Formats: sequence, C-alpha cells, structure tokens
Amino acid sequence: MSPGDDPRLVTARGIVKTFRSGDEETEVLKALDLEIPRGRMIALLGPSGSGKSTLLNILGLLMRPTAGDLVFLGERMGELSDDRLAQFRNRHLGFVFQYHHLLPDFTATENVAFPAAAPAGRLTADIRARAHLLLDRVGLTPRRDFRATQLSGGQKQRVAIARALINLPDLVLADEPTGNLDRESSRQVMALLRDINRRDGATFLISTHDDEIAAFCDQRVHIVDGKIVPSD
Amino acid sequence: MPFVILVAWRYLTSNLGQTLLLVLGVALSVVIFVFMTALIAGLATYLTAETTSRIAHVEIEAPNTIARVLQPDDRFAAQPVSTVKRKQIRNWQQVVDLASTLDGVVSISPAVDGNGFLVRGEAVEPVALRGLEVDAIDAVAPISANTIEGTADLSAGGLVIGADLAESLSLHAGMPVLLRSDRGRERLIPITGIFRIGLSSLDERVAFLSISAARPLFDLPEGVTSIAIRLTDPASAPQAARILRNATDLKVTPWQERNRSLETALESQGRTGTIIQAFAMIAIVISIASTLLLSTYRRRSEIGIMRAAGIGRGFVATVFVLQGVMIGLAASLIGAALGYRLAMLLGSIQRSDGRVLLPIEPAQGGYVLVITLTVAAAALAAILPARAASRVDPVETIQQ
Repeated sequence: MSPGDDPRLVTARGIVKTFRSGDEETEVLKALDLEIPRGRMIALLGPSGSGKSTLLNILGLLMRPTAGDLVFLGERMGELSDDRLAQFRNRHLGFVFQYHHLLPDFTATENVAFPAAAPAGRLTADIRARAHLLLDRVGLTPRRDFRATQLSGGQKQRVAIARALINLPDLVLADEPTGNLDRESSRQVMALLRDINRRDGATFLISTHDDEIAAFCDQRVHIVDGKIVPSD
Repeated sequence: MPFVILVAWRYLTSNLGQTLLLVLGVALSVVIFVFMTALIAGLATYLTAETTSRIAHVEIEAPNTIARVLQPDDRFAAQPVSTVKRKQIRNWQQVVDLASTLDGVVSISPAVDGNGFLVRGEAVEPVALRGLEVDAIDAVAPISANTIEGTADLSAGGLVIGADLAESLSLHAGMPVLLRSDRGRERLIPITGIFRIGLSSLDERVAFLSISAARPLFDLPEGVTSIAIRLTDPASAPQAARILRNATDLKVTPWQERNRSLETALESQGRTGTIIQAFAMIAIVISIASTLLLSTYRRRSEIGIMRAAGIGRGFVATVFVLQGVMIGLAASLIGAALGYRLAMLLGSIQRSDGRVLLPIEPAQGGYVLVITLTVAAAALAAILPARAASRVDPVETIQQ
C-alpha cells in the first residue's frame, strides 16, 4: 500500500514531551497515541494546560517529541533533519493560529502567496492566481490588494486561512483559530473551514475548548493531562 | 523580481524614516572616506609637485673613485700622494647624448658645481656655485620667472644669486662682489640678477654663473661635475636612473633617493588616512548591524510565521543580508556623490595669495574602492542579524 492509499494521514505512537526548567521537569504529553485519517475535520478539545498546543506543535513539526514515533504520509519524521522538516512543513502542512501573524507590509495576496513564492523564488503568475482564488474562497477578492494593516480582525484571520491553504496541504492545523474573533466572525470562519474541508478534502485538526466551534467538526478528540481520552 | 528581494525591499521601505536616517549615517562615513582619500591624494600630488618643480629629477655625478694605492713592490712606487681623484665627468657630452634618447626628457643641464664664498667688505657668506650653460638657468628651477631684480642672463658673465643671500650682503643687481672658490681662486664679479623662488636652500645659498665663468674658478677646463635631468613625469625618475646607471659607470640618483623624508612623510600620511578610513568602515558596520539587529527583534513574529510555514533559514538570512547590501549600495552612492561635491567645493576655495586652501583631488576619492568596501562591510554587518533571524524559534514567537 503506497502512502497515498493509506487512509491514515498521521500516526503518532507513544508521544512524550517533557519540558525542563532548571532542575524541574514537566511532562506535558504522556505516551500519547493518535491517528488522523484523511479528509476529516477533527476538533481537539481539552482544558487549558492539557497539552493541546504542544501536540499541535509536534504534529506541525515545529517541535520534536522527547520520545515516540510520528509517521506522516508513511514517513518517520524523527529521522528528518531540521531543513527537511521545514521542507515537509511547507509542502504538506498549513497553519492557522489564534493570532493571524500576517506580514504587515505586504498585501493580502502577497501574504497568502508567500509560503509558495519564497521556495519558488518568485511570485509567479500561477502562484498569484492561486492566491486570488483562495482569497475569493474566503470572500476577500475586493481586498486582495489591501495591506494587512488595512484589514479587520476577521478579514486578517480569513487571509491567514487562505495562506494556510496555498500549498494544497494534506493537513491544516488550527490552534484556537477563532480565539481572537467575536462570535459572528468565529462562526463565519468555522463555516469557511468546514466548506473547504468538504469541497477540497483537506484534513483539519482544530484545537479549541469551545463546544460550539467543535460542533462544526465531524470528529472530536479529547486530551486530558497529556493523554488522549475516549470521547463520551 | 525575486521574492527574497521583494521582502527585503518591503522591510526597508516599511519604516522609511529609520532607513533614510541609517542610509544618511552610513553615507556620512562614506563622505569622510572619500574626502580623506581625495585630500591625501591631493596632498601627495601637491607635495610631490612642489618638491619636483624645483629640483633635478635625475642627477648624474662622477663616482667616488678611490685611487689604487701602489704596492711596495710596484716598479714606480714611491709613496701614495693622494688617494682621492678629482670628481668630474669627462665624457659628459656622450652622457648628455645618451640621456637625450630617454623618453620624457624635458631638459639636460650639465653643470660645474662647487663651493665658495662671497666677500663684501668684512662680510663673508658661504655659497653653492652652479656653473650652467648660458641658456640653462631655468632647466632645473624657474629662476627667470622668479627674478626680482636685474636679469637671469648668464651670458653677461655675472652672478645670479638668491634674494636672502643678497640681503645678507646688502647686494643689488649691478654691484660687484668678490667670489672666492674652494680652490682658492678669486674673481671680482658683478651681480646680474637676484631671484626669490621660495625655497630657502636656493634663496639663501645658491649663486648661478655661466659654465665658462665657473671652469677657471674650479680648475676644471674640460669636464663637468654633474648633469641634471628633468622629466615630464617625475615618477619615472627611478626607471630613467636605472637605464643611465646601467649604461655608464657614473653615480645616477633619482630625486626620490634624495628626498627620503618626503617619501616617509607621504607614507605616514597614507597610513593615517588608512586608519581614518578603517574607522569609517567600522562605524558603518556598527550602525548597520545595530539597526538590523533591532529590526530582527521587531520582526520576530513575522520571521516565526515564515519559519512555521516552512520557509528555510537561508531565505530568512538572505532577506537581512540583502537589506544590508541595499543600505550599503544606496549609502555608498549617495556618500560618494556628496563626497565628490564636498571635495570639489573645498578644493575650489582659494587663499588670499591665490593658492588653494586645501590641495584636494576630487577625482582621486577612491570611489570604486569605497563603494565596494561599503557594500561588503554592509553585507558583513548584516550577517549577525541574519544569523539571529534565521535562528528564531517559530514556536516561541508564535505563542507570544
């Protein structure tokens, strides 16, 4: 079975993450197991300090686990160098954070395009067209040439979502993507993510502690005290 | 446009005021560099020209030949009477002919030189006598143009003396003076002209006369004691001297060897300039490095999101190195232009006596060197911030 045929996009086995502060060690993830199937929209639920963000950072290849195996598209991530991990992130992963982290001196189009344009070396017509298409999907065509500083909070987060999708990622990791938005904007963003999931088949793992946000997802995963616990 | 250049350009133009201030600061260092380079080059040219305008560029003399001491068993040996021969160039006409074949020769002036005294009443002044061909008085120094009394005509058979020497003996053109050579010959000779050239060694001590008048004074009926050569390019004197030295057995000295102190002074001046230029470069490196480091810190979250999106460390580092290069290029071009204008302006200011205030050579501001060095220094200065930027931990910055 080739990695493309495997219904499992990500397999995490025995993931441990320990942080050290002076002589004190804190185990945030405790032999955590998780499988993420393709095409699903999964809500990662858990109280503050349960390890949601740490797990997302590890699944997003931003952080290496202290122990355990992480297999992504059939490839063991622990064996890759930092540079190869960065390349893998660029090709297969998209991120949406609680704060948009847009580049303020760049237009909406350039912000969406940069994860594709930087490795390509140029902002090609093809990449620009793709960015415009994504901005159209998130309803920002009239604002595509506006600088990030000229957009509202909700608009910025929608640009961040488009940015996460520019390289057609296999997995989009969203860490409290509506945390900084009002209720109405939150609903709009979640409806947008669900629409992209349904139409494009992109897999989403969304960290939240909000049940209403989780209701947009088709699967819930609970993390408590660094371990995945069965859903009720 | 390559995307990395677009990002670097946007970063620079996002805070235009700060960037312009930085460019201006670096440009000022470039102005100092250009100004100092042009001034040092100008001073070197001026001092060299001042020195070489009044001296022989190549001086030919007879070598110090020591007569062989006769051995006791030599047939005609009696006792050595003198070990030193009279210094003279007997075949001087051949040497003059040879020298005239060299490139860039302006004048060749054979001379009968010697020391003597000018005696007037009870006053006695030492004098360096130069017997020249009658039309050669200006061959080494511009005596005619600087004659303040009488004429510089040697054909009249008189003496042309320096103004300071004339003053010390209260002499004026037309007055006779007793000339006593170091060979003990004496002659009453009229003062034909008095000159003031501004070089104390000439104004205080030298007296010119015709070569025919000098021969009997120094018991030298045929030869000459020296041959002075002037060249269109004084810098070529060592080369000309080498050719003449190889072709004759005479002592041939280029002006540089007679003016070692000038060479030392110019070298010291050059070293001082190099130190100032080095400090200007250090100032450039520090100002660019500190500003870009600040920018790295300010843009940590942006760099973090780039790294999270899988943009390589190389791309991030290149953005900052390019910023340094752009700042260096802009500042060096502006600084070079301002430096040129400043050098032109200060080089055109004249003193009350008509001479320039500062002998600057704006064309020799080292423009290619300063632009190259500034861009290289700016790129070097950007390496530390670029390295810091490429090491930003995306997790740390995104969570802040």
